[in-house]
Amino acid sequence: MALQEKYKQLIDAAKTSGVSNLQVREQNNVLYVDGETSNGQVKDNLWSIYNKIDPDFRAGDLVMNVKVSTASGSKAKVITKTSNLNIRKGPGTDQPIVGKAAHDEVVTVLSKSNDQWSLIKTDEGEEGYVYSQYLAQV
Amino acid sequence: MKKFKNIFLPLLLVVGLGFSDCKNKSEKTNTVNTSSDSSSTAPVKIESDDVLKNGVKDATKDFPGVTATVNNGEITLTGEINRDRLQILMQSLNSLHPKKINNNLTIK
Repeated sequence: MALQEKYKQLIDAAKTSGVSNLQVREQNNVLYVDGETSNGQVKDNLWSIYNKIDPDFRAGDLVMNVKVSTASGSKAKVITKTSNLNIRKGPGTDQPIVGKAAHDEVVTVLSKSNDQWSLIKTDEGEEGYVYSQYLAQV
Repeated sequence: MKKFKNIFLPLLLVVGLGFSDCKNKSEKTNTVNTSSDSSSTAPVKIESDDVLKNGVKDATKDFPGVTATVNNGEITLTGEINRDRLQILMQSLNSLHPKKINNNLTIK
């Protein structure tokens, strides 16, 4: 229970900001927090609380997986640093590149393959998988 | 035979009622369990090292200074990273279902 005390502020914030399917478990001195939100800001806020309690994520005592659920057909913006985002045939960097989405381009999210990869379609009709980390809700 | 039925039927009813009573009780117990302990119902999911290795490869692709190894569910990070990129990397790695993440990165 000690870790739930340490990360109490984080758990409380997850509860009050309406994270769904919230699971908080402590196992072998690691706290596992899982859940889902439709709001990307809620996830960002939880991560800044995490970084405040455990600066630079050094302690190795928390695994937090709060996913941002994306409705099929919703729009997302490409948030690469400057470069184009690779669109791949399948969910994995070993998959062939079938297209590119430009930095700041807005694309349509068709579905999420898993926590890491999203199936998207560009306005030009290119369709394939991109790494979800480079997409932001519009 | 008719007499036997007369005795047997009420007996069946009593037995049946007894069973349904038990069933209700066990359902009640289950409900109490889930509602009082809803935050710890799903077991922690830890991915296999092979799946983790693939995920780690994708997640660290755009972090050239970072080396990540996977062993027994634990991801260990070494190398260098800029502080403003650390959270992005940690968010990806945390979603892979590792047992633990050891962050030994030098932060620039």
